Amino acid sequence: MADKPQPVRVVYCPVCSMPPEYCEFGPDFEKCKPWLIQNFPDLYPDLLKETNERDADKVADKLQVTGISSGSSDGAATSAPKQEEVKRLPGGKIKKKEKQEVVIEKVIRNKRKCITTVKGLELFGVKLSDASKKLGKKFATGASVVKGPTEKDQIDVQGDISYDIVEFITDTWPDVPESAIYFIEDGKKVPAA
Amino acid sequence: MFKKFSFEDVSAQNQVKASVQRKIRQSIAEEYPGLEPVLDDILPKKSPLIVAKCQNHLNLVLVNNVPLFFSVRDGPYMPTLRLLHQYPNIMKKLQVDRGAIRFVLSGANIMCPGLTSPGGALDEEVEAESPVAVMAEGKQHALAIGFTKMSAKDIKAINKGIGVDNLHYLNDGLWKMERLD
Ligand SMILES: [Zn+2]
Repeated sequence: MADKPQPVRVVYCPVCSMPPEYCEFGPDFEKCKPWLIQNFPDLYPDLLKETNERDADKVADKLQVTGISSGSSDGAATSAPKQEEVKRLPGGKIKKKEKQEVVIEKVIRNKRKCITTVKGLELFGVKLSDASKKLGKKFATGASVVKGPTEKDQIDVQGDISYDIVEFITDTWPDVPESAIYFIEDGKKVPAA
Repeated sequence: MFKKFSFEDVSAQNQVKASVQRKIRQSIAEEYPGLEPVLDDILPKKSPLIVAKCQNHLNLVLVNNVPLFFSVRDGPYMPTLRLLHQYPNIMKKLQVDRGAIRFVLSGANIMCPGLTSPGGALDEEVEAESPVAVMAEGKQHALAIGFTKMSAKDIKAINKGIGVDNLHYLNDGLWKMERLD
């Protein structure tokens, strides 16, 4: 029994599905990059440099956007009774207060492949890169921070984990109440609690 | 071979008789002696073995809906890349240079010069018409499963034309078919 080979667990990129070392030859290397930086920074040392530069730009952008939107459309258009306020997150970043909720959605990709997206954790002061690592570890799968459709960061987790994820979130980040977690099911938003 | 492969190409799926199941196990064990100690884990005797017949004389061997091996006509059983990644040392290996990677990943057969250049590598023992793992310069994991058209010695001596047929590669139809259910 001693020489029985153990299966090697190869982590595959959740974006292009290949071993991360082949992402550079994949259909869209750009889209793989955020996940690679989070999970395999040593594989492509140049990427880290690239993003450090880009991140500096992003922060500048964000600050600008906040400044513009608070004066115009945003406050008037939404019927939310809440006052807009500026919240200082633990990271020191300044963010406009949004409705605090975490939205989980199962997305089917490539016919049978499925990923679970998690949006909004950052509104509770959770660092997404850290959360992505924890989710990946907990569910033994690939997880990455990616730009969502609304230009906001979200976490993509490979596989359907929507059933266990609520408990994991509330256990790991007690600041997130179960009542603030929602699922998207058949296009409808359903409370998890 | 699996470039455009999809569920529609599977014409029939059958649980095979115990005798056939034994034969399949035996020929896999003979072809890949390194797998023998784990064969009971990969092909548990209790789980039914399914053979899916597909277009172009292709057969897939599945356990619990996961494709594990494929064969063409009466050729040898070859592991899927996902299985090979788990047990990387069960097959003989050839290595292409970095320049060949993108061609292999688009389904092209493997030309001799890509194997004989400084970035390539050949296992001298590889015979003609045998299954091989196709590795790549600077990469850890196999990127394709190939079937040699010439022996490694001939690939070196002749050094032109196709040396290895590219049967199955990362991101082809079989790679994308993680499960068949
Ligand atoms: Zn990738």
